[in-house]
This record gives sequence, structure tokens and C-alpha cells, in this order.
Amino acid sequence: MNALGFAWRSLVRQPARAALGVLGVAAVGALLFDMLLLSRGLIVSMQDLLDRGGWDVRVSAGDLPGSGLRLPHAIATAESIAQLPSVQGALIVRTASAQVDRASATPLHVSFQGVATRSTDPAGSRLRAPWTILRGRDAEGPNEIVVDERLASQTGTGPGGEIIVRATCVADLEALPATRLTIAGIAEFPFQTTSDSTVGGTLAALAAACGGNIGDEADLILVTSRGDADGTAASIRAEHPDVRAATNSEVVGRLQQTGFTYFQQISSVLTTVTVSFAVLLITVLLTVSVNQRLGEVAALRALGFSRMRVVKDVLCESALIVGTGGLLSLPLGWAMASGLDRILKGMPGIPAALHFFVFESRALVVHVALLVATAVIAALYPMRIVSRLPIAATLRDEVIG
Amino acid sequence: MRLAPAAVLLPAILAFCVLPPVAWAQESTAPDVLISRQLAESEGLTVGTVIRLATDASGAHAREFRIAGIYEPTPDPARLGQVPRSVRLHLPDLLEMTRPVDVPAGAEYVSSVNVALTNPADAQQFASDVNARLPGVLALPAGEATGSAGPFRVLERFHLAIAIITIVAATVFLLALTIMLVDERRETVGVLRLIGLPVRRILTQILLEGLIVAGTGAVFGLVLAALSEQLINQFFQWRYDTALIFVRVTKDVALTCVMIAVPLGASATVVASWALLRRGGLRLARR
Repeated sequence: MNALGFAWRSLVRQPARAALGVLGVAAVGALLFDMLLLSRGLIVSMQDLLDRGGWDVRVSAGDLPGSGLRLPHAIATAESIAQLPSVQGALIVRTASAQVDRASATPLHVSFQGVATRSTDPAGSRLRAPWTILRGRDAEGPNEIVVDERLASQTGTGPGGEIIVRATCVADLEALPATRLTIAGIAEFPFQTTSDSTVGGTLAALAAACGGNIGDEADLILVTSRGDADGTAASIRAEHPDVRAATNSEVVGRLQQTGFTYFQQISSVLTTVTVSFAVLLITVLLTVSVNQRLGEVAALRALGFSRMRVVKDVLCESALIVGTGGLLSLPLGWAMASGLDRILKGMPGIPAALHFFVFESRALVVHVALLVATAVIAALYPMRIVSRLPIAATLRDEVIG
Repeated sequence: MRLAPAAVLLPAILAFCVLPPVAWAQESTAPDVLISRQLAESEGLTVGTVIRLATDASGAHAREFRIAGIYEPTPDPARLGQVPRSVRLHLPDLLEMTRPVDVPAGAEYVSSVNVALTNPADAQQFASDVNARLPGVLALPAGEATGSAGPFRVLERFHLAIAIITIVAATVFLLALTIMLVDERRETVGVLRLIGLPVRRILTQILLEGLIVAGTGAVFGLVLAALSEQLINQFFQWRYDTALIFVRVTKDVALTCVMIAVPLGASATVVASWALLRRGGLRLARR
């Protein structure tokens, strides 16, 4: 019988303790797996969200898009950017806060995104708005909008229906007349938070909702390059030194340095604690188990089992406990990650499509590597015990004891 | 009490450009400003230095100010990771610099007004009165205006979930260990049964042992937590350049840990022993 088979029989001989050991490793392994998913989850998810729209350069007034600062002379800037040779198209995005009237309930506060494309390329002029149409069609005219599912259900409308919007584009204290707009479609907005509703339309529709008082500012200009995002961002920076142009990777990099760092830190701390905890406990389990079987091991040695063979038995026992627990930890960890993700997505201002725990093959590789290291390190001390076991003295003690 | 415009509350973010210091003069007539410690350190500014501030990155329309002091910004958990390079101006100076050319003085708007009431208990009533009398203005008691607390309530729930998972994992391991330890004492327990000690007496002894071991473990854990508290805070305060306290072992936290650890440890010992004690004394003592 090989070492693995022998270790398996040693474990099944005492099923309760083996099962508890495996369950313990599964629970610790699941936490470890979750921390590895968390360590880069936000970055991967944010990169995916940014890339999904097809816009590879973001031009804003602040260091990060959405900082609250607005780009002045937005239309002229976008037209100038659109004429750069590396640019396929530019999309002006202007956001305003708005209120949607309801007949028999309090008004709903929403975010109104107005967009306008600027391009010298026929392909660029067909670039789509930063939302995905779920039903109906995209808003085209100055009296058309698209709304998200939540707003459609809260107002009891859908494509073809009408809502009354009061938008404030310049100052919060403006008292604007109500504007009746037609819903052309239901859309999904990638950066919409779980607690907010969003309305989208053309810049002309936003201007109509704001009573024409929109100014010439934009929150963001989204740019699609002809392939070289880095070069395009550099060209925009050179052409317009007063604005910040960043590729999607640069935006993620900046976020990584600020908002996302907390989760990376906590993930590192908990990964270290979890692995140390697992090593300590499996070492204790194996050591106690080996100490209880010293007579048995000495008898095996006396029967001709080599020192290497009994060492291998202990290592295989450790590998079986950690391996089985590690396998169980994957589905358990995935289920736990879903629950923890739901908890963290309760944070205000987090886009509904953003995830904290995201699966990556590298996380699985690191998980397996850490569990292998755990199995080996945890087995070191018990392996040392069996390798240095004095056969005759142990057998005598066993008999006399 | 906080008053704010009724529409969506966007924080008023103003980009100020700090231009190189122009002088160091205690006699300067320039208005006073305070600057954050982080800004002072990064730009090498000291109290008394006259600096120029502009709202435009190009430095156009810059005004001179004298640094009257350097302050440690109130730690803001919502801005963790962002180095607070900030300047505090008197409101008239700020409005003077940021007022659009077509807005007459006195017609500017501010993002919020903090109100101190004679009787803080009237905050809710005062907020209702203001909301009724001033359409377009939203008044909230200060306790309800702390939007930044939201993320930390979520983080608290997240940490609690992690703690529960850790406790479950630790309990499983603890059970495995106690089963092994109890099994190791099988013969001793068998002998005790054979000399006439009742199961209840042996269980009591095991329970007391479990309590002592769990209590010692809990105390050791608390000492370890207290020692690492300082270390963790120092690391994260250095990492984020903030005065925020990340870990605080309070009496409540310590008590909660002991209340969970000691009964859990003792129960694990008793549960692990129970299966053993159901066997007969002879069977236990048999080699």
C-alpha cells in the first residue's frame, strides 16, 4: 500500500476527528479564498465596467471622473478632441439633478445624463451612449429620454409613456418649469447606484428639461480612440493642458491608490491571519494525532517501514486533510463571497454593477499555492517527530506504559 | 443642525491652486488662512509664509494670503487614502474668489449652514419648521446629516460577518482538538469511572478544566489584541497619513470576546467528552 492509501486509512479509522479537521480547513480555506477574491475584486470589476462601454479615454476637470468639477467650454473642447487623428469619436456627458413628478406620491429625485457625440469619422458618429437599452429604443429627439427599470416601475410607465421632469442644471436653488418628456426606452446605466434612479437623453433633451439654462460645461468627455488609448490620452493632454485625460487603466490605477486600497489592506491582513491560523491548527491536529500513534509508528518502523516512508505517511495525511478541505472551501467560499458582496454593496454610492469579490484564475492559483504551503509547513513538526522516533525505546515504553 | 439646498447634495469641491510662496512677513496685511499639516509638509510651508491662492490651475486672479496656522484635519473615514491637502479661508474671502462675474456680492449660494441651537433637543422641531417655512431648503438634525457614516455601518456589518466565519472555523477546529485531547485521556477517565466517580462528577471536572483553558486562552487573546492594537494603528496611520484610529480594543469588545470564547471553549470540551463518557468504565480502561 502506498503512503497516500495508508494515510487515507489512518484518517477514516477516526472519522469524527478527520471530518472536523477537514471541515475546519474548509471554513478557513473559504475565508482565505474570499480574501483573495476581495484583494483585486474591485479593480477587476471597475476595469470591466469602464471597458464595457467601449470608451477608452476619459477627459475630466478633476483627477478622477465624477469628482464634481466641470469642464468649461465643453462643446469646443469635445470638437477639438474629435479632430485629433487618433480619435474616433467623443461624447459629451453632462449630469444634472432632477425631480420626476408623480400624481399621487412625492417626487422622485433622479440623476439626468445628457449626452452629445462629436466625431469627424462616420464610425465615430454612431458611437453609442454610455447606457445599454433593455427595451424600446435609444432617446434621439430633444423631448425623448430613456429611464432605468426602477424609475419605470416607480412611475408606472414604459416605452411610449411620458413623465414630468424638473431639472436643475446650474444652481440648486433654481425653480424651473416642469418639462414633459417621452420615454423612448428602458436602459441600464453602468455606474448607477443601488439606491438612485437615472434618466438619459441627448444634451438637447437635458437643455430642454433645464429650460435652456445649461451653460457650456460637461462633467465628462468620453473618447474612443482608433486603437492607441495611451497615445490618444497623451495627445489630448498636449492639446488641452487644462484638462485631465486618462485611459481606463489609469483611472483604475488612480482609484487603486485612493478608494480601493482599504480592501486590499484588509484582504492582506486577513489572508496572513487565516493562513497562520490554518498552519497552527493543522500542526496541532497532526502533532496530537501522531503523538497518540507513536507506538504504532514505532511498530511499523520495526516491521521494516523506512524513516522516509513514515514521514511520507504524515505528509500525505496532512495533504489529504488540507486537500479535501481545500476542495470543499471553493464552493463554500463562493457562496460566502456572494453574501459578503451583498453586505458591502450596501455602501452608499457604489454602482450596482460593481462587485467586491470577483473570480480570477490567479486567485485560484494563489489559493492552491497557499494551501499546499500550509499542508507542507503544518506537517513539518509531526514529520520531525516520526523521523526521530527511537524504535526500541518507544516500543518498550508502550509495553511498560 | 444642518441646512442645505433641497436638491441633491453635491459637495462643493473647489480646486485651489497653491502658487509658490511669495514672502515670509509677519507684518503682511494679507488675509489669514489655515493650511492642513499634509499640505504644509508637501509644499514646505510654515506659519507666517505669504502664499498665493487661485481657483484656476493657470494661477490667474491669484490672491495673497498669510498662513496663520497649520492644522491637523479632522480624520474623515470617507476620504481614507486621500491626502488632505486643504486650505481653510474665511467665508467672505472664499466667496470673493469663487463668485462668478455676473453674480453680485451677497447673492452667492453656499452648500450648507450649520446652526447651533440653544436647546439641542429642539433639533427635530427646528428642522421641521425650517422645511415648512423655507421651500427649497432642506434642514436636517446633525445626526441625520452624517452621510459619511453609511459606509462604516456597512463595514461594521462586513467585519461582523468575517468574525462569525472565523468563530465557526475556530469552533470546528476546537472540537477536533478537544476530541483528540479527550481521547488521549480515555484510560484515565476509565479508571476514574471504575473507582466509582459518577459521570456527572467527571463531567464537572472536565467542564472546569475547559473553563480554565478557555479563560486562559481568552486572556492570552486579549493581551495579544492589546499589544497588536498599537502596531496596527501605527501602520495604517502611517500608510494613509491620517489620525484615524483603526483598531480599538474597548471594554465592550473585550467582554464580547470573553463571553463568546469561554462558553464556546468549555462547551466544546463537554461535547467532546460526552460521547466518551457514555461508554462503560471497563471499555474505557481497556488497553
